Amino acid sequence: MRSLRWLIACALTAAAAAAPLAAQGATGTIRGRVTDAATQQPIPGATVTFGTRGGISQTDGRYTIYGAPAGTDSLRVRVIGYAPISQSVTVAGGDTVNVDVAMTAKAVNLASVVVIGYGQQRAGDVTTSVTQVAAKDFNPGVIVTPQSLIENKVAGVEVIDNNQPGGGISIRVRGQASYTAGSEPLYVVDGVPLGTGSGGGISTGNDPLNYLNPNDIESITILKDAASASIYGTNASNGVVLITTKSGQGKSRVEYGGSFSASSVTRLPSMLSPTQFRAAVAKYDSTALPQLGNANTNWLDLIGQTGMGQQHNVSFSGSGAANDYRFSLGYTNQDGVVRGTTTQQIQLRLNYGQRFYDNKLSIRGNIAGSRSMDQFTPNGVLFNAAQMGPTQPIFDTSSATLLAPWGAQLPPTGYYNWPGNSLTSRDNPLEILNGSIDHATTYRSVGSLTGKYDFSELTGLSGLTGTVDVGYDVTYGDRVTFFPNNIHFVTKNGTWGSYGESQPQQANTVLDMYLNFQPPAHLGPGTVDFTGGYSYGQSHGRFANFGESQIETNVLTDAGIPQSNAQPVSTVDVEDAKLISFFGRAGYNIDDRYLFSASLRRDGSSRFGPGNQWGNFPSVSAGWRISQEPFMQGISAISDLKLRASWGKTGNQAFGNYLFVPTYQACNATAEYNLGGQFVCPFRPSAVDQNIHWEATSAWDIGADYAIFGQRFSGTLDWYRKNTTDLLFDVPIDPASNLSNHVVTNIGSMRNTGFEFDLGGRIKDAATPGGLSWTANLNVSHNSNQVVSINPNATGTGTQVLTGGIAGGVGSTVEVLEPGQPIYSFLVCRQFYSAGKPVQGVYYNATGTDTVTGCTRGSNTIAEHDPAPHWIFGLTSNLSWNRFDLSFTLRSWLGNYVYNNVASNVGDYRELSDGSSPSNLSTSVLKSGFTQQQLLSDFYVENASFLRMDNITVGYTFPWEAQRVRLYAVVQNAFTITGYSGVDPTAGVNGIDNNIYPRSRTFTSGLSVVF
Amino acid sequence: MRVSHWSAACAAVVAALTIGAGACTDPTVAPKSTVTGANFFADPSAYQQVLAKIYAGLAVGGQSGGDGSTDISGIDGGFSQYMRLYWEMEELPTDEAVIAWGDQTLPEMNTQGWSASNTFVNAMYYRVYFQVQMVNEFLRQTTDAALASRGVSAPLKAKIHTYRAEARFMRALSYWHGLDFFGGIPLATENDALGANPPAQVTRTQLYNYVVGELTAIRDSLPVSGVAPDPATYGRATKGAADMLLAELYLNAGVYTGVPDYADALTSAQNVISSGLYSLNPVYRNNFTADNNNSPEIIFAVAEDGQHTQTYGSTNFIIHASCGNSMNPGNYGVDGCWYGLRMKPSAFRLYNAGDSRGSTMDTLAADGQTIAIPSISSFGNGIPNPKFTNKTSAGATGSNPAFADTDFPMFRLAEAYLIYVEAHLRSGGGTDANALNYFNALRVRAYGDSSAVDTSIAEITLDTVLAERGRELMWEAHRRTDLVRYGLFAGPLSGNYVWAWKGANAYGTDSTGMATDAHLNLYPIPANELIANPKVKQNTGY
Repeated sequence: MRSLRWLIACALTAAAAAAPLAAQGATGTIRGRVTDAATQQPIPGATVTFGTRGGISQTDGRYTIYGAPAGTDSLRVRVIGYAPISQSVTVAGGDTVNVDVAMTAKAVNLASVVVIGYGQQRAGDVTTSVTQVAAKDFNPGVIVTPQSLIENKVAGVEVIDNNQPGGGISIRVRGQASYTAGSEPLYVVDGVPLGTGSGGGISTGNDPLNYLNPNDIESITILKDAASASIYGTNASNGVVLITTKSGQGKSRVEYGGSFSASSVTRLPSMLSPTQFRAAVAKYDSTALPQLGNANTNWLDLIGQTGMGQQHNVSFSGSGAANDYRFSLGYTNQDGVVRGTTTQQIQLRLNYGQRFYDNKLSIRGNIAGSRSMDQFTPNGVLFNAAQMGPTQPIFDTSSATLLAPWGAQLPPTGYYNWPGNSLTSRDNPLEILNGSIDHATTYRSVGSLTGKYDFSELTGLSGLTGTVDVGYDVTYGDRVTFFPNNIHFVTKNGTWGSYGESQPQQANTVLDMYLNFQPPAHLGPGTVDFTGGYSYGQSHGRFANFGESQIETNVLTDAGIPQSNAQPVSTVDVEDAKLISFFGRAGYNIDDRYLFSASLRRDGSSRFGPGNQWGNFPSVSAGWRISQEPFMQGISAISDLKLRASWGKTGNQAFGNYLFVPTYQACNATAEYNLGGQFVCPFRPSAVDQNIHWEATSAWDIGADYAIFGQRFSGTLDWYRKNTTDLLFDVPIDPASNLSNHVVTNIGSMRNTGFEFDLGGRIKDAATPGGLSWTANLNVSHNSNQVVSINPNATGTGTQVLTGGIAGGVGSTVEVLEPGQPIYSFLVCRQFYSAGKPVQGVYYNATGTDTVTGCTRGSNTIAEHDPAPHWIFGLTSNLSWNRFDLSFTLRSWLGNYVYNNVASNVGDYRELSDGSSPSNLSTSVLKSGFTQQQLLSDFYVENASFLRMDNITVGYTFPWEAQRVRLYAVVQNAFTITGYSGVDPTAGVNGIDNNIYPRSRTFTSGLSVVF
Repeated sequence: MRVSHWSAACAAVVAALTIGAGACTDPTVAPKSTVTGANFFADPSAYQQVLAKIYAGLAVGGQSGGDGSTDISGIDGGFSQYMRLYWEMEELPTDEAVIAWGDQTLPEMNTQGWSASNTFVNAMYYRVYFQVQMVNEFLRQTTDAALASRGVSAPLKAKIHTYRAEARFMRALSYWHGLDFFGGIPLATENDALGANPPAQVTRTQLYNYVVGELTAIRDSLPVSGVAPDPATYGRATKGAADMLLAELYLNAGVYTGVPDYADALTSAQNVISSGLYSLNPVYRNNFTADNNNSPEIIFAVAEDGQHTQTYGSTNFIIHASCGNSMNPGNYGVDGCWYGLRMKPSAFRLYNAGDSRGSTMDTLAADGQTIAIPSISSFGNGIPNPKFTNKTSAGATGSNPAFADTDFPMFRLAEAYLIYVEAHLRSGGGTDANALNYFNALRVRAYGDSSAVDTSIAEITLDTVLAERGRELMWEAHRRTDLVRYGLFAGPLSGNYVWAWKGANAYGTDSTGMATDAHLNLYPIPANELIANPKVKQNTGY
């Protein structure tokens, strides 16, 4: 570490010392700015040459050529997507000549800058599979979680919704590629890697990425193939999401955007009506009839609400000759459609850039801070609301006081509950909802300071820049759950009230240093560029939990624990991790026609033991812009066509720390043993594989970027194959040779194959300003996943991993990992039907040739269907006419299946008599007529393909006091067409619908104005 | 120029450091809040904590209360709690119990219908080895050399010497369960290195000899109980416990090795009886209450506690699962009913009028429960047996209605009496008078008077001993072993005693029962184990 500090000091001294440099000899300096002739916007990354000297234009379009030989020569400016320019310039020794250049666009989309790992690239030069979505294309409406901005916008990216406002959102880039380790992409915000997983940070329930105000985001780039992602090495197997925040541009301005919204629930679990319930009880559980009341209570309605919300964003931004700034403040408050759910966000961000010493040194600081306050619907409310008897009243004023185990007489809550104290009866959901508390507060700050120095003035180093980037990511969270001591939910299970608090905190720091070298001169027939660097990241986390039960009084609710009558349970866990990396990339470009790139990352990680710490992650890619070839010049319809191919290797270490370390695990206070009258906490030695190492993915991508009719329509086409090996699995071992019957080891492999198609275009250009214009984008992706091997040493059931736990029986699972099948395939029995009705207990045998009684694992269960969509379609359309604009986004998933666990768990008449008081049943029982639970019937595995209108927006823009004001209205989740019978076909990551949070339709209206 | 050179030099250094990066190339991080093998034994109490794990392995399913952080994989922690599995495998396939639930592969247990992939049978195998390996690891960590290297003090060393004997008792106990259930299985000892090649399978006789040898070797190193109840040794391995375990082994030696050894069985039982440390609890039921740790009759128990030792297995499972329908869970000190366990008709019919051991179920028979079991999954079929309870002997509820305080009595004096009687009848020596006395002592306690006593040893036959074992030890996890010893569980003679659901299809409706094949006298070795350890051969018939 000492040498690192020294190094930073050195770099800064160099920058300061180099400032007063003077030109020498018979040379001069040429400087100026490269802009787009039509838009006057700066063009960064243009190569400017003068004889043997040259430079590269910066973000603001400025370039400087030092040591230009005195005399007259051609100044050539070249950048993809624009017509090259050559003009004669005369330089006198010791002079500085100012030459501004305006370039004419040929193909703007080729010239747009795409953010890549540790740098940026012109879209036209990219030889890997990278998709960037700019702010103007983001999804509109109430967006709490930034990942929602790009839902449906990128082929090959599956965004898995969370209906709870602000809830954690999952992203799968090109399918699932792990089981034990994480499957979420790596997020990098303004160069600071936040780690893998949802926002990398620690969660107190909602999405950690919520610290980021969606309104502050300039662009989101997804590195999809291994070749583009491998520069991030061991964290890149699931793809990389690069987020760039907005910075100030142009004249000073103030922007305000505000909106109000209202959400209503779209679909709830379908349960029996009071009349149907009474009839079912009369027929199947007549002994319970006397318990039934005469009420007509719709419990699901009672826990629902209209979710109101508001959002406000203010920003101040601008730029001067050598600086730019942007300051923003955002506020969001959004209620869920179930009572008790609210999310509230306050986000501040400051982005400041300053250039020193004739633009040679630029410093940029970026600091964001946020506070999220989330309230959650207490555990148990949703399923009890579905299953509580609809004939029962809400209140019951006659109930007696309750005798607590510690002898206290507790007052009744006044809510009705079934008689008796059976664990299997349902509880009054309103009693739980109104007395219980579950909330979390999260503070997070992420910031970075970047210094970049341009060494171009030094002989031989023209085109060299050095970057030092220091970043931090600090989170402090606090989640509190409280259940009063007198609600039935807790008196019957013996907890008699509980208070639990978890306080996770984590601080990550990262230091990146890298050099970019893009010499303006040719090397052989082409130009080269190099990037090389070093990265040091460390993470320190502290996770404190404490819990109490048998609460003496409810008076303090979540504000303290006056007295607990049971053993408290507390733990503190400290986690440290380190990642050290060396990385490099080289590119070679011949006439923008033949493009080559190669990269290598070497990572050292603390997650692995001696001998396994270091790994190499290489990649190569090549592109051929056929449209540049002479033989293509006659084909005017094709304005751009590039073929590209890439291969790369990435790693996945998104699992816990210290997996390789033999440890002794402590007990907690409720798992002690009485040794001679004294309770002793048992410690257990753990079974570990000390040779554990990362999961590795190597992937091929073959693609094409195309544009036709003068760039009017353009898009991409990709085919890929990802092979993931060394997957971590918990495999059965001989229990007589280790400390357990299982150990986690690198043993499995998996494959994802797919293709993606993207087509966007200007269908109708406005003939005159304000005329009708129409743009649209369609993306299609197909992925097929296959588990190749789980345990090559095993045969029979040893090659299966049972997963997908469900409600309806402890340890019951309905999914499997089985070689040859997609991950999370459903493992169920094929139901036998007679006259269109499922016949209880009768299933097909394994070969489907005959029927048998009962569904037995290992005998007639078969793996088929899986929760992942095989096809994803996204269609976006934008129309504008005069002051009006109209846009919509449609989405469709095909081939995804969902297991309806609400129906399978409470979809049989035995549920009425099982336990003491009857619970309400899913209306699927009316269809099936089951009198016994049939958890493993494929009757409950439903095709959940759907078409959903994700949003429709209407906007009206008008001038007011010389400002532009836009009024708009958005409907999110306007409608869904699906054959799925449950609450939501996007039921969660692994396709098990068990009382998930219901989906809502949201109406938003708002305005935005720029001063 | 000067500045330029300085700058260039610095740039070169930056480049060099960027590539070489000096000292910051070591990603190693030492775990801080993790107890590793490297630092654990620095704390002298560590030895006691590992010993506690060996005992806790029978009491809870994992490292956190309610069987969280489970010790074995592939099954729920509560489902796979040691005593729960042990109980289910000893009771469900016999004439004593059925369980209503349809959890995957559980129904097979009611009808002897298991296969080599039965989740519960597999989990029992893994539990046995988990215990064995915990002991082996403890023994490896407490060799004289290891203790000397850590500078362990002499008094602690003396304590550890006793701990080692206790640990070896616990290993012998689990190996007994292993050889009783599975026959000849791999023998792993402290001399086998961790993570090395799987150990070889030994014959059932070899394993029997090993276990008997171990118990004989440690018998005199074990703590001696005070007059029971003795809180200092309660729930721990004692010399009395070793004698009981030896008695069990010798009693079944004919099954395990082909060579019966009733003389040693009788001697071992006699050792327990004549130690004078244990006496019959005047109230039979107080051996099964929330405060049964006060019973003077219990020789070895798995200690549970509603506050400190919380499990969904063991007695907590038996009490909750035995409750359902019209039964009020509050009467048994628990928070709810699980609607699971009832007696098979053959078990209920063992009891005669006046026998207090059967009186707990009589009222239930009158309250809507049927004796016959046309449907196993219906709790109303079969008489429940609330023998175990989370009420204290004084009638108070245990410390936590969700988790019973009730200890599982693995060995109690009454069984020592019955072993004596049976060994005596099987020509194991002893005296007629003793046998008659011991047998009658149980009858007198059961009936409260001498109305049911036998007057001469001739009245006591092996069959009456088996029936008496059924009555006295009902639902105490001995039944399968007893029936196997009598040849009535499965095999050629099993047609002589057929009970409801014996040998039926788990999903069928025929409750009459039938004779079953001899291979069912042993449980199958898990299919996964045959893969993980190629040296292991499956038991015949599977």
